[in-house]
Amino acid sequence: MFALTARPLQSVDLSPLIPDQLAGKSIAKIKAIELHCGNRSIAVEQLFKVSGNDSENISFLRSSNQLNFIGSEMSYGHIEIRGAVGDFLGKRMKGGRIHVHGNAGNWVGNGMAEGKIEITGDAGDFIGAARPGDQHGMSNGIICVSGNAGDRTGDRMRRGIIIIHGNAGDYCGSRLLAGTIIVLGIAGKLTGYGMKRGTIILGRRPKSIAVTFNTCGQLKMEFLRLLFRQLTHMGRQFKAFNELGPEVERLAGDFACGGKGEILVLQ
Amino acid sequence: MKINGVLIDDTFAEAFPMQATGIIITAIDLNWAYRAANSIIGFASSVIACGCEADIERELKPSETPDGRPGISVLIFAMSVKQLREQVQRRVGQSVMTTATTACFAGIDSEVTVPLGKSLRFFGDGHQISKTVNGRRYWRIPVMHGEFVCEETTGIVPAIGGGNFMVLAKTARHALAACEKSVKAIRKVPKAVTAFPGGIVGSGSKLGSKYKFLTASTNEAFCPTIKGQVTTQLTEDIGSVLEIVIDGLDEEAIRAAMRAGVVAACSLGPKNGIYRISAGNYGGKLGPFHFPLREILK
Repeated sequence: MFALTARPLQSVDLSPLIPDQLAGKSIAKIKAIELHCGNRSIAVEQLFKVSGNDSENISFLRSSNQLNFIGSEMSYGHIEIRGAVGDFLGKRMKGGRIHVHGNAGNWVGNGMAEGKIEITGDAGDFIGAARPGDQHGMSNGIICVSGNAGDRTGDRMRRGIIIIHGNAGDYCGSRLLAGTIIVLGIAGKLTGYGMKRGTIILGRRPKSIAVTFNTCGQLKMEFLRLLFRQLTHMGRQFKAFNELGPEVERLAGDFACGGKGEILVLQ
Repeated sequence: MKINGVLIDDTFAEAFPMQATGIIITAIDLNWAYRAANSIIGFASSVIACGCEADIERELKPSETPDGRPGISVLIFAMSVKQLREQVQRRVGQSVMTTATTACFAGIDSEVTVPLGKSLRFFGDGHQISKTVNGRRYWRIPVMHGEFVCEETTGIVPAIGGGNFMVLAKTARHALAACEKSVKAIRKVPKAVTAFPGGIVGSGSKLGSKYKFLTASTNEAFCPTIKGQVTTQLTEDIGSVLEIVIDGLDEEAIRAAMRAGVVAACSLGPKNGIYRISAGNYGGKLGPFHFPLREILK
């Protein structure tokens, strides 16, 4: 368990504090781990009160949005965070589970390949998205945000599922390559802009959709029965999907990019 | 040994190794799931000429299926993985995908797999969509009824074919009544199926033939009409013999199915024309799995 003792003035890189790196280390060794903080390094014990001996289940208490890269490249175990977190939560995550009881910054699940991230508050921009220079965004796994999401959710995402229980910002699912984004609230402007393939499921019709989307009409999409049913098996936070039916308006697009994607607006 | 006055022969059923797979068919209602299931198990009574043996294992409640619709579990058996792959691909494509409102999912998990949507997806002609949910890959193929959803693959497991017993009765009507009761009882046993029409074999076979081109021919020792001409297993009072052949995913499934089937047949007793229960074996030439009747029924 890592309890933050002083709010850091600079951004801190917490990527060394994952189950993969902490396994087999003594408390003394963990306390001595060097963390990048701004343009210098500080020891873990200068920031956190460290306790416990279960490296597979890590907790961060009194977290701050200055704490970045939490769970970066983790492949197993569970990280629980009480409080806000900064950017790049679960970056290149390969497995395991992260649970944030608070808000998260930008780039949640950037390059994520497997695993599960749950955020009980809001999340920033570029959830599961590609950074400039990346070939694609998240390639698998599941990200679930109970609150609202910022802009560009799932930008250039390749595979996996992003669920936003609240609203999503503008350009949700922009340049989507594949995968599934579900927004149960309202999505912002130009949802699915430039998407090649993949599925965006919306609780309500978005504010605006690019003219390069064509409606296929009101339909029952049998796949949604399967998707929603399987999601309900994945945890209590997905129980709401049990109530959702397969009736949707299907919008195919973006025809500027091949038109093999779809926006499904739940009826 | 006698059960309800019916003599149980001191013999054994001889079975052989097979490869098996399972699929789950769902549809808008149970009626349409049955239509697809009955189509896929059509002409799948014996590997001798059908390429595979298949039957409905059981009905599935909506709570038991991946998409929450009513469904049917079907088991398919063949002599090799290659044969099974060929048969499953053809049968799911022509019998399940063509049935209105159906979807098809894996019924068995295993590392060795047989393609389902993996090969059927091409029917989508480029409009198919793949989705991975909960670590499983599915294909969405746009079809005229809407969307055919099909899991990428289903598993193949080693299995056993040819578990059997024979009901020796006064007439065909008596034998059939007993066998119908047996099949009804066997349907309640998980992991076991009876692939012949109605679950009953009217023309049981022995290995080989006087004709070189035949691998199997009539089991004359149990044919009542020629019992005066051949070395027969039948007594004077036996006028008809029907066989129940059981395929199962493991030995225990076959044993449980044989036990349930024999007990159900014997419940009619000699007063209803049921005189003896026997089993087919070929002196150990056919396969390594032996199911002694009396031991199973202890």
